[in-house]
Amino acid sequence: MHIMEGFLPPFWCAVWYVIAIIVVAYGLYEIKKVVDETPESKALLAVSGAFMFVISSLKLPSVTGSCSHPTGNGLGAALFGPAVTGVLATIVLIFQAILLAHGGLTTLGANCVSMGIVGPFVGWIVYKLLTKAGVPSKINIFLIAFIADIVTYIVTAIQLGLAFPEPTTMAAITKFFLIFAPTQLPLAIAEGLLTVIIWNGLMSYKPKLLNKLGAISDSELSKGE
Amino acid sequence: MKFDIDYIAHNNRLSDFNMYVKVIVSIGLMVATLILDNLTLDIIVFVLMAILVLGVARISFKSYLKFLTIPIVFAVITCLFLLFFFGHGPLIYDTGFWGIGITQSSLDLAVTTFCRCFACFSCLGFLTLTTPIADILQCLHMIKVPVIFIDIALLMYNTIFIFLDQLSTMRNAQETRLGYVGSKSTYKSLGMLFSNLFFRSLDKSETLQCSLDSRCYQGYLPVYKPKRGK
Repeated sequence: MHIMEGFLPPFWCAVWYVIAIIVVAYGLYEIKKVVDETPESKALLAVSGAFMFVISSLKLPSVTGSCSHPTGNGLGAALFGPAVTGVLATIVLIFQAILLAHGGLTTLGANCVSMGIVGPFVGWIVYKLLTKAGVPSKINIFLIAFIADIVTYIVTAIQLGLAFPEPTTMAAITKFFLIFAPTQLPLAIAEGLLTVIIWNGLMSYKPKLLNKLGAISDSELSKGE
Repeated sequence: MKFDIDYIAHNNRLSDFNMYVKVIVSIGLMVATLILDNLTLDIIVFVLMAILVLGVARISFKSYLKFLTIPIVFAVITCLFLLFFFGHGPLIYDTGFWGIGITQSSLDLAVTTFCRCFACFSCLGFLTLTTPIADILQCLHMIKVPVIFIDIALLMYNTIFIFLDQLSTMRNAQETRLGYVGSKSTYKSLGMLFSNLFFRSLDKSETLQCSLDSRCYQGYLPVYKPKRGK
């Protein structure tokens, strides 16, 4: 869930904006390095961003009967790494605000920190660790999508709790998270399952390409063939 | 899937109006309502934006209502939540369940938050319903956002529509072959759809790169800025 336009008080909007801008600037610096070396990667980045946007604008049937949108940031982080995902997610969030009226411009910083930065980053660390430990990428990709989703909601709950510290910050964070949990846990599982199916498709068609992107290890590539 | 907002943004009386004025007015008012946090100002801003959107830009009442419905529902739900769970002090209304009730402080919080959301949202509405994305990116360029960010955004905007077209074709093909029947097959169909779309997108990026190269692309997309009337 995106935080709505105008929901956060100005102080917290500014705080999250500052954090987001610093991280996105770093991500842009990384992208710039890549693009200077291989100019053709810019088109790939743009297309992957569009892919993320299209994924996140589709409805996913969930267990509770409600519908929600997959965030796609776990998949993005596995395929392109957290820095690039942060920048792409920022553009996706701007487009969502402008084209679909999801989220908003004043809360862009906060949404960007939760969906584009912390969620994918934690998921990516878990993914790297488990890949090193030799866990098959199918299980791994479920975990990254699930964890990225859950972390996104924890961060959102923290952001809301900080903005409305009533009666105390910690109590507010718990309240917000308890409200999110019943709807978000099934959704995170649903997104994890969907990501596994997407991943299976990717693995069976073009495992070499995933290896080139650095998303799967060499041993798994040879095992697949 | 259709982006009604995008269509409206290109087809209204204010589409060709000076984009800087539109952006400054909407963002300025948005920030002002956010910082001043004043109920009267919120209502004035909402009415002003409604007049601009409905009266000046001549966007139909139906589409404006459609644009506002989902955010209003969300705002009402979240503010009800604030109303019942985020107060301290004596209750002014007691539901009788576990001491959950409304206090003066939670009432104030819910009302101010709701109005603030509403006013800010109507500013966003004015901006998105009257200004095409290309113009907004142009404004980002003016405030010195790095060129690479804008280039990627511009290419992405272009690609989104190609994807949506491909997506509906593939979806139709799946539906005619008994995809999306029940939730299990929906997941399977969606998974196939996305993994296929990912490869399509890689192919597409190669084609895009070729077409950019053959038009002397040097890492910068100069965009023609038509002279706008009025």
